[in-house]
Amino acid sequence: MRLGFTRLIKIFLQNLFIQTSWSFTTLQGMGFLTNILIGAPGDKKKVILDTHKGYFNTHPYMSAYIVGAVLRLYDEGKKSPAQIKHFITVAQTSLASIGDLLFWETIRPVLLITGVILGIKFGLWGLIAFIVPYNIFHLYHRIRGIVDGYRLGPDVIYLLNSARFKKVQQAFEIIGAFAVGLLLLLVQWKVDSLLLIPVISLFVSILIYRLPAVFYTILIILIIIIFAFL
Amino acid sequence: MNPILISLLGGLLILDKYAFGEFGISQPIVTGTIIGAIFGDMKTGILLGAVIQLIFLGGLPIGRDIPPDSQGAGIVGVAAYFFLVNNNSAPASLFLATILGLTAALLGGAMEIYTRQLNGRLYHQFLKKRRRLYLFHYLGLGTAYLRGFLLILIFTAFAYYFIVPEGIPQINQQMLLIIGVGVGIANGGYLFVKKKTYIFFIIGGICGLVLLAL
Repeated sequence: MRLGFTRLIKIFLQNLFIQTSWSFTTLQGMGFLTNILIGAPGDKKKVILDTHKGYFNTHPYMSAYIVGAVLRLYDEGKKSPAQIKHFITVAQTSLASIGDLLFWETIRPVLLITGVILGIKFGLWGLIAFIVPYNIFHLYHRIRGIVDGYRLGPDVIYLLNSARFKKVQQAFEIIGAFAVGLLLLLVQWKVDSLLLIPVISLFVSILIYRLPAVFYTILIILIIIIFAFL
Repeated sequence: MNPILISLLGGLLILDKYAFGEFGISQPIVTGTIIGAIFGDMKTGILLGAVIQLIFLGGLPIGRDIPPDSQGAGIVGVAAYFFLVNNNSAPASLFLATILGLTAALLGGAMEIYTRQLNGRLYHQFLKKRRRLYLFHYLGLGTAYLRGFLLILIFTAFAYYFIVPEGIPQINQQMLLIIGVGVGIANGGYLFVKKKTYIFFIIGGICGLVLLAL
């Protein structure tokens, strides 16, 4: 059986809904199940429903690599459902960590800082500067993930060492460091601007000591109230 | 525009948070631009969206961890400002809208936990009626939409009718930007400024100051 264009599109569109029913019980479990069922051959659907109705969690964009590989394994029929489940268990953790690092901790914040700078200086260009490049990377991994997953089967996890992950992450880290420095461009330099120093110092300390996010948000509310009285 | 219409739209935008696609259209810098354009003042919408964006730059949805709802904060903060400014001064509206946005982030995070518990019930229903997998899965769109709609409605309805009493603190755009940029530099620095990259941070800072002076 081939992947084929129509099948690829169906799997891709369903992959956009992978987190729709995210729950504490199975995390992305139902989303993953619907995603492989939509691309699976008719005679395998019952086995898939019985085998993969539980827990699943990975980075949403990276899930495409696993979906592609699982469909390849069911199409070939050489591995047992238990072996396929074992592959999923291993792959979801590796892809989750690489996806979180690449997207949530690197590409997205870098492009958001760029969008903020351009947005404040040039209006609508900020939105465009974030949305367009972000979705080029995002959709590339969603689509290419299905294709490569299907092409390589379980070997798809060896792609984690490829340039599409490492080089891109390194390049974005450099752009990110530059963009963070460039944020100073947004502040008009008056006496008030010296307040930047205590704000930066305070929040760097909070981030280093990994204080809870709720505490962090409440502290910002308090700082806004204090600044309003200045 | 009224609170119900903005909540209907905001509920749709917030689906992008995780329920559908995750294209990034629910990020505060994007929703700030959109809502600002709807109210005819894109510049202020972008500014408020940008500040909330920089505050929550490091809030990462990793694994089971649910950080405060930055997307909800963006929509609430910007929409609340435009409702408040109809009856109040701009600096007082800016102050209150930012506080409402950040409070919405906290409440939104708590509501998110409840939504995901509700989705767990959908999963148990699926186990009983396995033929209805797709129905129970897509009902997750309903729970996510409802959460966003209610969150935005609570705060924007308050902002729509609220008259700021005399003596409430006020904040100007420049002061708010100082907080946003300060927290943004801390967040961004924590993520990107390392031994290998700190030189680019310094170059970026110098470029920023030079461009500012020009």
